[in-house]
Amino acid sequence: MTQPQYPSSDTQWPRWEVFKQDAPNRPHQAVGSVHAGDPQHALLTARNVFVRRPAAVSLWCVREDDILTATPEELTTNFALLDTPGEAGTYHVGVKRTNKRSMTFVDLSGTVQASGSGDALRQAQVMHPDVLAWMVFPETAVVRTDEDPGTVESWFAPAKDKTYKQQQHYGVIGRHVGELKRAGLMPGRAASEEGA
Amino acid sequence: MTTTPTELTDTQTQALLLKLTVLADDEIILAHRNGEWTGHAPILEEDIALANIAQDELGHAGLYLSLAQTLGGSDPDRVAFWRGPDDYLNTRLVELPKGDWAFTMVRQFLYDTSEALWLEAATRSTYAPLAEIAAKAVREEKFHVQHTALWVERLALGTPESERRTQAALTELWPHAAQLFQPVEGEAELTASGILPDLNAVHARWSDLVTRHLVDRCGLTLPDAPATQPGRDTHTEHLAPLLEEMQRVARQHPDAEVW
Repeated sequence: MTQPQYPSSDTQWPRWEVFKQDAPNRPHQAVGSVHAGDPQHALLTARNVFVRRPAAVSLWCVREDDILTATPEELTTNFALLDTPGEAGTYHVGVKRTNKRSMTFVDLSGTVQASGSGDALRQAQVMHPDVLAWMVFPETAVVRTDEDPGTVESWFAPAKDKTYKQQQHYGVIGRHVGELKRAGLMPGRAASEEGA
Repeated sequence: MTTTPTELTDTQTQALLLKLTVLADDEIILAHRNGEWTGHAPILEEDIALANIAQDELGHAGLYLSLAQTLGGSDPDRVAFWRGPDDYLNTRLVELPKGDWAFTMVRQFLYDTSEALWLEAATRSTYAPLAEIAAKAVREEKFHVQHTALWVERLALGTPESERRTQAALTELWPHAAQLFQPVEGEAELTASGILPDLNAVHARWSDLVTRHLVDRCGLTLPDAPATQPGRDTHTEHLAPLLEEMQRVARQHPDAEVW
């Protein structure tokens, strides 16, 4: 087998951060990311990847390039992050408060009016001094799923009926090992060593 | 449910059983073809997406076959895993090999649009159990349509290569698509009594929808389709190997109690 030739330039589509809202009036939460060629593709892909089972009522996608993130450590070594330029306007602020949850990385906590990304990050730092990381992005960068009943029905409602199933829900081929053991039908260690 | 199911005559029951089997067969075979992309799709996200769609289609087959069982049909697993190519009644459209990504997306678009329109009409069935199934499945199908319509558009309007592949896929698939609208024996009576949707009306809506998308929006050309088609009992050489792979495990373990 020959080694694959990796292209020198990045041919991946842009990465989009996906924010999922579990229920009305709950904050959107960053749940992961998708690669997609355009906003609508990003939303459809996000639905496929992140709304197969869990409850959701809305998805947002934001291109990686439009997002500014920082940890307290990064800010101590790279103060220029607070001067990151950007359009003046409304910015969403997200914070990562804990490492304990594996499926949620950042909770959106609200919006600020800022002169640019760096200014939004500065305000986020003031509002939430004791967190693990901050994330800011302009409102204009957000693409959203529609809120009409048709979209809610076809994008989000089916997943609600699909609960996670315990492993034992699924069938086994033949009879279950435990059942065979109880019936004395499982070969013992000695028997299998003899056979080998 | 509070509504009493419509009482079916024996003739109606047989025709409905056949229709449910035909619908399920298309879902099963297409789901298998889509499942062949697992681990091979162009990008990870689409690998997941297509596996999701395949699972949804299999779920719809499960709904149809469970309803068929209440009408005297066999156990759904028996129907899926123990019938050979001579007994499967899927369209040739869904059994053709998966081809390239354009072929898979164009086929899925032609299928999803027909299924979504049929299911939407079937939500108004006078036979309550069918109306319930349709109401459940049509939600997923409407999302499938958005997914595959988007892909067909991106491919058709993408690069010269993607456009060429998309047109080639449509040229090969289009003659097979009309088969989705072949009625089964006895279907006319079920339509007259409001149990099944009017297939001709669904066909007309479908032709309008896919022409607007494929021709007007995507700039593709619809080739000629043959006026008449062999029935669903006529298959290509591709069905037998598909079933052999799909049914291999089940047939190696005929004593399996649950799947």
